[in-house]
Amino acid sequence: MAEGFVIRRPLPEFGLWEKMADGRAVFSFDFEATARCNLDCRHCYINRPAGDKAAKTRELGVDEVGRIGAEAAARGAVWCLITGGEPLLRNDFFDLYQALLSKGLLLSLFTNATLVTDEHVRFFKKFPPRDIEVTVYGVTRETYERVTRTPGSFEAFMRGLDRLLGSGVTIRLKAMALRSNKHEIAAIGDFCRARTKDYYRFDPHLHFRFDRDEARNTAIRAERLSPREVARLERLDPERFGALKAACGDLLPADPPPGSHVPECRHIFRCGVGQRSFVIGPEGYLRPCLSLHHPDFLYDLRKGSLTDAWQRFLPKVLARESDRAEYLERCGKCPLVNLCLWCPAHAYLETGALDRPVDDFCRIAEARAEALKSG
Amino acid sequence: MTEKIDLSRTYAPSDDVVVREIEGEIVIVPLTSGIGDVEDECFTFDEWGRAVWSKIDGSRPLETVVQELLDEYDAPAGLLKGEVVGLLQELYERRMIVDKG
Repeated sequence: MAEGFVIRRPLPEFGLWEKMADGRAVFSFDFEATARCNLDCRHCYINRPAGDKAAKTRELGVDEVGRIGAEAAARGAVWCLITGGEPLLRNDFFDLYQALLSKGLLLSLFTNATLVTDEHVRFFKKFPPRDIEVTVYGVTRETYERVTRTPGSFEAFMRGLDRLLGSGVTIRLKAMALRSNKHEIAAIGDFCRARTKDYYRFDPHLHFRFDRDEARNTAIRAERLSPREVARLERLDPERFGALKAACGDLLPADPPPGSHVPECRHIFRCGVGQRSFVIGPEGYLRPCLSLHHPDFLYDLRKGSLTDAWQRFLPKVLARESDRAEYLERCGKCPLVNLCLWCPAHAYLETGALDRPVDDFCRIAEARAEALKSG
Repeated sequence: MTEKIDLSRTYAPSDDVVVREIEGEIVIVPLTSGIGDVEDECFTFDEWGRAVWSKIDGSRPLETVVQELLDEYDAPAGLLKGEVVGLLQELYERRMIVDKG
């Protein structure tokens, strides 16, 4: 018989983690509660206007979310990230949250914090998520609202963030690095680190729009930092640079000997996508990862089951190979692949093809490699 | 919460937790605050705790559960009863079970 009774363990120490790592099994999923947002950020890849009635009408209802959550939990899902758009725009947010929580899922939430009320704080105190992540677009009104293009949003953000920070829930802060706030990135880092003991991270990679809106993509392109600026920002952040170095530094090849051969691989998915997780969009389409919006990779959960999607659909579509010589000769053999943003999802957003190299990504990988070599 | 576990009473899982079996392991997920450090911790049982937990379903008094376990396990009655009461006391104090009367 046991010496102790109930065993209390930090999540990473649960044996089920190791067991799940042994084979393909559902571990987590992201749920985009809505594509709508009350902000209109210059760089956003997904947002629809808050009042978009058509988008709202198509969103999954609480019962549908509950059904999908139950199926995911039955397949072993432990963790669910509720994201958007802005999830708090949903009038039924509390019900959606409860529908997932009641299945025994550990919940995380991404929010811009501008809509957080005292009622949300009371709710989160009673039913705590594992964490809430908030993006900080700027630390002055001018910069914040230059990014969000929404007057009054900075005040609302500060008010909401203060409420969350006072709630006792774990709050994590992060930033997007874009041309409109580049001059404040260091100050954003200081702002975040002063408010939470948890990690702070920034992301300099701006995805193109999922809806392929060319006008918005042009605006996103204009907000992107150059490869050198990205590498420099990463170099200036000791935590981030250290992590990059630890993860990728050893993988950097010395100048490859002439005639050296890198084995050819025709598979385009090399990242483990669809092995542990999936994403559910606002309208109930399951897809393998957040960035992958190619129609061949969408499974309608309103018409089928999560089990069918996981067991039959995903393995089939993710086995896709490429015959494109350009891909096989470049990405397929590239020694900098671990420093590169390239993946089929990003390639599709950038070029309209899943297996086409993206020159801008090559430049970023090269700039990172240069920084690591000199660093 | 220091009430003693009473063998004549019936206990059931609390609505404040969800108990799941994932990859063969029992995981107790707190739904509300105050049960554990929700961010970093969940709870589980060893094999013995799991056997007891499976019988705590609000359908019968604890003394019946103890008798069933005595039928299934080769253990001295006093020791087994003490283990069951100890486990339920901890579960009760953690608000993972409730007294159904």
